Formats: sequence, structure tokens, C-alpha cells
Amino acid sequence: MLVEFDVIKRAQSGDGAAFNEVVLAYRKRILGTIARLIARPEDVEDVAQEVFLRLYFSLDQLRTAEVFEPWLYRLTVNASYDYLRKQRRRMESRMSDLSEQQVVMADAAAGGKVDQERQEQKRIRETVDALLGAVSEDDRILLTLKEVEGLSLKELEKIYRVNENALKVRLFRARQRVLKAFGATARQTEGKGSVKTG
Amino acid sequence: MFPGNQGDQERRLDNLFGAYRDACVAPEASVNFMPILWQRIESRQKFSFSFRRMARGVVTAAIALTLAMTLYLAAPRSAVLSGFGTYVDVLAASHNSENSDLYETVRYDLGSSPDEL
Repeated sequence: MLVEFDVIKRAQSGDGAAFNEVVLAYRKRILGTIARLIARPEDVEDVAQEVFLRLYFSLDQLRTAEVFEPWLYRLTVNASYDYLRKQRRRMESRMSDLSEQQVVMADAAAGGKVDQERQEQKRIRETVDALLGAVSEDDRILLTLKEVEGLSLKELEKIYRVNENALKVRLFRARQRVLKAFGATARQTEGKGSVKTG
Repeated sequence: MFPGNQGDQERRLDNLFGAYRDACVAPEASVNFMPILWQRIESRQKFSFSFRRMARGVVTAAIALTLAMTLYLAAPRSAVLSGFGTYVDVLAASHNSENSDLYETVRYDLGSSPDEL
């Protein structure tokens, strides 16, 4: 816990300063999670505010300290889902575009005009975003929480309120789909490389 | 998929997810984050307050209307009952007053002989 349960209790009783303390403690983490879930930097802050707004109005339902973080994650995931539904936005990058992007990035990097490290990070983000675009929105969020956010199955169980076995099956299938897309990308990249070099 | 090196692919994917985690730097909140959040909280509170007040008004109006309708429906019916009695009484009364000549009582004098009748 990033804050004492006492602070949360004070926030529950309507103490604005205590609520501010909770927000400031979790803000960075929530912003990071949302950034990875919605992949649209300009709207991250708006969604984060919606999360804390929901937290404010549902804080009185919280009974124990242990469930606070999974609960906050649940609010985050739900707000992200709602945002994605509203936007009706699917991942625009497709596997076919990926190699093109990589070529462009590689050319830019070779020119030496851009910061290589930043370009590398951007390339990684685009690659993973495209890979996660191969699975459904639900599975993408689940995989991001597990593989990127590093949440345990127990934590996911609390967030999704489903049993561990069901989660394992869903995760396995989603990961297999991503692996398949990953394999295809690797083959494509190798193919391009061999054409270029050959 | 390359069946022979699936383990290798899995490891590479894990590394890629790890690199992705590092590449996705959490964005910094703007200076207006907290003021805007409190604005949104207050506007939501105002909305829910006015909605609650409106809902309470609607419920009160509905109760008042129900009572008024009950009184309206109950009052005329009781007047009919107290003024005219039951349907059978009303029917009997109107029957008696209209046809009294047809149903006049036949008087028998039990002391007289049948021939006198």
C-alpha cells in the first residue's frame, strides 16, 4: 500500500486533504497503467481523473485495506474499457504495417538525426502495441496487466472476480495468439532482411 | 510458428514485454490535474444533489396525486351509498312509487261468508 489505511478511512469520511493524499500517492501508477491500456497519451489524464472521480464516489463501500489496490485497479480497467468503447478505437497498426514502420524507423536511426534510445523505445512500443492488436480488447488488457504491469494471478483474480483457472486459460490462449503474431513478425523481418542482404 | 524453438520465442516475447514496460514511461500529471479533478467532483456532486432533489419532488408529487385521486374516487361513491342505499333499495323504491295502483293490497275479510265476497 502506498498510503496508510488510516488515510483512506479519513478520505472515506469526507476529508478532502486525505483524498488528495491518496490521489497523489497513486496518480503516477494509475497514469502509467492507463497509458499502457489505452495507448493514447493525450487522453491518459482524462481517464485517470475519471478513475479518481469514481474512487471518490465509491470510497464509502470499501471495507478492508487489502482490497483497496485491486479495487483501484478494477476502477482503472473499467474506466479504460469505457474509454475504449466510447472511442470505438481498435489498434490501427496491423502486422502488415509493422515492418514498414520498422523500416522507416531503421532508416531514421541510420541517418543519425534522431535520438537512438528514444527511437528504440518508440519502436518497442509500436511493436508490442501491434502484437497486442492481434488479440481482442479484453485479452489485450488482461495480457497488459499480467505481462507488463506484472500483476499476479491472485491480484487479477480480485480484479476480474473470476477463478484462477479461468484466468489461466484466458491468459494462455491470449499469449498463444500473441506468440503466433510474434512469430509471423519475426519471419517477416527475417524475410525482408534476407531479401535486402541477398 | 517455429515449433522447434517455441521456448526461445516465449523468452524473446517476455524480454519484449519487459522492454515495453521500460519504454512506456508513466506520463507526468499536469499542474491542473488536482484542480480539474475537484471541479469534476463538485459538478458531479451538484448534479447528483439536484437529481436527488428532483426525484424527491417527483415522488412527493406522485404521493399527493395518489391521495387526491383516492379521495376523489372515494367521495362520490360514499355519497351515492348514503343518499340512496343499495341498488336493490333504489329499485324497490322506484318500483313502489311508480306501480302502487297495480300492486294494491288485496283485503280479505275472514269473518264474512264466501258468498258475500
